[in-house]
Amino acid sequence: MADFTWVWAGPTCTMQLAHMGADVIRMESMRRPCFIRTLPPWPDGRPGLNRSGYFNQYNQGKRSILLDLSKPEAVDIAKRIAAMSDIAVENFAGGVIDRLGLGYEELRKVKPDIVMISMSGYGKTGPESGYVSYGPAQVPLSGMSTLTGYRDWPPMHVGMSYGDPTAGLHAAYAVLASLYHREKTGEGQYIDMSQCESTMVLLGEGIMDYTMNGTQPPRSGNRVPKMSPHGIFRCAGEDRWISIACGSDVEFAALCEAMGRRELADDARFRALADRKGHEDELETEIEAWTLTQDAFELRDRLQAKGVAAFPPMLNRELAEDRHLNERGFFVEKEHPEVGVRKHAGIPWRMSATACEVWRAAPTIGQDNEYVFGELLGFSSDQIADLVAREVIH
Amino acid sequence: MACALEGLSVIECGPNIAASYASKLMADLGADIIKVESPAGDPARTLGPFPGGKADPEASGTFLYLNSNKQGVTLALDKPKGRAVLDRLLADADVFIQDYPPGEAEALGLTYQRIREANPRLIMASITPFGLSGPYRGFKAYDLTVASAGGWTAVNGWPGRPDMPPLRAFGQQTAYQAGVNAAVAVMGAAFQQLKTSRGQHIEVSAQECIVSILELTFVMWSYMEVPAVRWGQRPIHPIDFFECKDGWIFVLCLEEHQWKSFLDMMGNPEWGEWEVFANPFVRASNWDALKPLIQEWVSEWTVDDLYRAAQTKRIPFAPVSTMADLLNSQHLKARGFFAEIGHPRTGDLKYPGAPYKLSGTPWELRTPAPRLGQHNEPVLGGRLGLSPEEMASLRKDGVVA
Repeated sequence: MADFTWVWAGPTCTMQLAHMGADVIRMESMRRPCFIRTLPPWPDGRPGLNRSGYFNQYNQGKRSILLDLSKPEAVDIAKRIAAMSDIAVENFAGGVIDRLGLGYEELRKVKPDIVMISMSGYGKTGPESGYVSYGPAQVPLSGMSTLTGYRDWPPMHVGMSYGDPTAGLHAAYAVLASLYHREKTGEGQYIDMSQCESTMVLLGEGIMDYTMNGTQPPRSGNRVPKMSPHGIFRCAGEDRWISIACGSDVEFAALCEAMGRRELADDARFRALADRKGHEDELETEIEAWTLTQDAFELRDRLQAKGVAAFPPMLNRELAEDRHLNERGFFVEKEHPEVGVRKHAGIPWRMSATACEVWRAAPTIGQDNEYVFGELLGFSSDQIADLVAREVIH
Repeated sequence: MACALEGLSVIECGPNIAASYASKLMADLGADIIKVESPAGDPARTLGPFPGGKADPEASGTFLYLNSNKQGVTLALDKPKGRAVLDRLLADADVFIQDYPPGEAEALGLTYQRIREANPRLIMASITPFGLSGPYRGFKAYDLTVASAGGWTAVNGWPGRPDMPPLRAFGQQTAYQAGVNAAVAVMGAAFQQLKTSRGQHIEVSAQECIVSILELTFVMWSYMEVPAVRWGQRPIHPIDFFECKDGWIFVLCLEEHQWKSFLDMMGNPEWGEWEVFANPFVRASNWDALKPLIQEWVSEWTVDDLYRAAQTKRIPFAPVSTMADLLNSQHLKARGFFAEIGHPRTGDLKYPGAPYKLSGTPWELRTPAPRLGQHNEPVLGGRLGLSPEEMASLRKDGVVA
């Protein structure tokens, strides 16, 4: 794979394919290093292009080479890599890849059946196609913010740059579907992806409300129309909470039993879903008066033992130490030359018959120059020295 | 023009929307999906939104959106005869996607061990809240508790307001995430199936799907032992909402040149030179002081004027869109993002389209979501060749609705 991506969305796409064994070659620039290489977290707080946990999380299992794509010779090298690739991925703002001379029309000349995807913020067509966009802005842009938030409070973000991973995953899916088509027909193709639309497709319930009724669901905190209780309640300790959701009257009765308040299940205010929805403030007050005295994790186990869905909002440390995730072997800890062994989130799926793993830690910048320029492209050491001297490669 | 996944045969079932979303992604690129519902119907039929707010299992917006382009049959999988019919469907299929919780899947015989006997080249995907192994595998879960178990709600409360609880994002995002992850893994397996005819089992954990997209929050612990904070870890600023004259705008400067351009737009105020705002990291530590200065300037603008003006200078601001804004967007109209399709109960409606356009193979809405049991005859009678007597007997036994 010829990987021209940067920041978070594009790298998420190419990482999915790396997970399944694709040989992903990141083409990076020293003049404008990948933005997230410059962001924390860094071990000991000491910055460095190879030290960012953010970059290292989303570039596991890839190679990296350094070249200066403002130079025609570097563009030719990139094309030689594309000619050896099945897939090319880029997520510059609309039009940038064409100006670099590495657009689909150019790449298909050197590799007629290549599958190429452009993941721009707004897509390649339409009046806003040239606009710049990043994952954090796609949450409000997509409409997600006006649907998310506390009752009668302002629109909210969702705590992460949701547009990025969402675009990356949908892009990986579209690439694989195209690869499937190519395997059957021999035909490659070009995919024009709009990152902000990839969040909109996850808001079907909100958009359909508007197209059916001309309204949109009000922001409702943690409540939903078809379940009650459905909330996050304060527990003992500072900033400790537990989420509890009951999908049926039976589950609600089990919750009441765990609370030692069986009578609540027969209370006319709470008996059936419609009753509970009509008295949700009172119900939540009753529940929180009880959870406030409880340890969140002990409570989770007691409620789960009774078949009630409950889980504390997990902090990063709790995830890292979580016995379930560790027992399942979810985390990846590969040796990295500059940050040592660190815990990273792994692959959220397992495949029984094909290898599916992170084969090595994220690359340091230009880590694979020798392999790619020398072994793969066949440049002699003199040629490489000359290219370096002329700053075509670094 | 042929669709990318033409000829790929997929069977889908389960009580959640994760399997529905995974197979929707495939249906819309041309795969042949048979959705197996219980005789009572997919629970998504009860979720709405409904036209006029009136509950109708044939008009639930969630169900209609997720199940267009599919054929629907009803089968009682808790009855041996229902399972036998499912096995016959699976015998000729390429892919089977289901999202029953592990215990229920086992009780229904939907284990890979058993399914592979019916069809060794089948790809089976099991989508569950916590995976098929580990101490939480049997935990009861809904979107809210999975979002919490994955570390999402902890980063999504209002910052600086510890009296307000951690918060979910709108909709059933954990199910959508599990669904798209499943679609990725299934397509990887399907690509290999084309080459080797080998089947396999894919197991997706929704909790892990969330942990793997926490941006820099998770690694903040493993690299620096910095605990998760609300709104996620924002080491740099500005990244925030501001109020304009007529609504909200999202102000974002990630790269330093974008900040410089923004200062320029604001007429290079004196405070732009202050040491305390000199780089993105100190702007973040001094955000409480900086935010009101930006707010004062922003409040003179309308959302649309500020959005266009910023984008003209290549600063990535964004409007805080309502659903109406999306449906009225000239950009989305020009791209043909919304797709319209008729349905006997709701009439013509616009649906969200696809976030991608494939140059050689179409994405399209061909048929609306199936009515309950709409394709029992063509699929069970036609495709499987059950005789009218067999069909009648299945109906009598409550196996087929």
